[in-house]
Amino acid sequence: MFTIGNILFKTTDFLILLSVSSLIIWLYSIFWSTDTLYGQAETLQVQYYNQVAIDYPLDTDRIIKVEGSLGSSIIEIKQGKARFIHSSCRNQFCVFHGWLNIVGDSTACLPNRVSIRLKGTLNPYDAIAGSQ
Amino acid sequence: MKLHFSTTHEDHRIALLAALAISIYIIESAFPSPLPGIKPGLANVITLFTFLCYGWKIALQVSLLRVIISSLLLGTFLSPTFLLSLSGSLLSLGILMLVHSLFYPHYLRQYQPSAIGYAILASVSHISGQFIVAWYFFIPHPELFKLLPILMTFAVILGIVSGIITQHLINKLCSTHNK
Repeated sequence: MFTIGNILFKTTDFLILLSVSSLIIWLYSIFWSTDTLYGQAETLQVQYYNQVAIDYPLDTDRIIKVEGSLGSSIIEIKQGKARFIHSSCRNQFCVFHGWLNIVGDSTACLPNRVSIRLKGTLNPYDAIAGSQ
Repeated sequence: MKLHFSTTHEDHRIALLAALAISIYIIESAFPSPLPGIKPGLANVITLFTFLCYGWKIALQVSLLRVIISSLLLGTFLSPTFLLSLSGSLLSLGILMLVHSLFYPHYLRQYQPSAIGYAILASVSHISGQFIVAWYFFIPHPELFKLLPILMTFAVILGIVSGIITQHLINKLCSTHNK
């Protein structure tokens, strides 16, 4: 219990503020988590050029080797996330992209013509265009 | 025919407070809001002040008068806006009464929250009441719940601000308030 100027703050005020804040944090964690917004990622779709895409489940860790136009691309699936760990291209954009962990995330090695994309139960968007 | 009304001192007080709340509400509604659904809610300062200073009966009358008359003046009477306003006011006043009666026993009276605690409760319950009505009657869509945390965050911040204003009002104007 203390005062600022002639405004009185009581312990109960802080208890109220604390409980309301924790309620808000709980609400954020329910309605704003990536799972509720985008659904759970379930499979990794790997595609080379115009060939049929292959789906890999995300629940088993594995290393996937894909032969592309220039050489091999190596993709890693670990703990529900996926990334390029090696690519036979010059710029290595796909490797620098890092982990994909949200449904709809995708990355591609254009020179090597290999692209990967996370799929889930609900797919919030088809594609996102942007620049780095 | 001539009608005679006898008015008491209490009636005058209710009229004065309601007029103040209505003016604040109407001035406030003229300002554009940066985010839809978020406004300072300064009219509730009057309701809270009335509640803490003069008790729940007067606060209920002031609050109902404020909701009905300002909606008549703004042309939103019986529209969704009016229902949202009404539900918010009633729930926030209900929560204030609940908490006040919770701390009513003499051995708990010293733990009674100050105006700031009451203001946070009032604004959070105000937005919850509006949200429940909006979701149940007007937009029953699950995506609406994504707005709830944002609305709640602003409710707490603006509640603290209106609590500080209310405390100033009580310090200046209220001689009989129960500490």
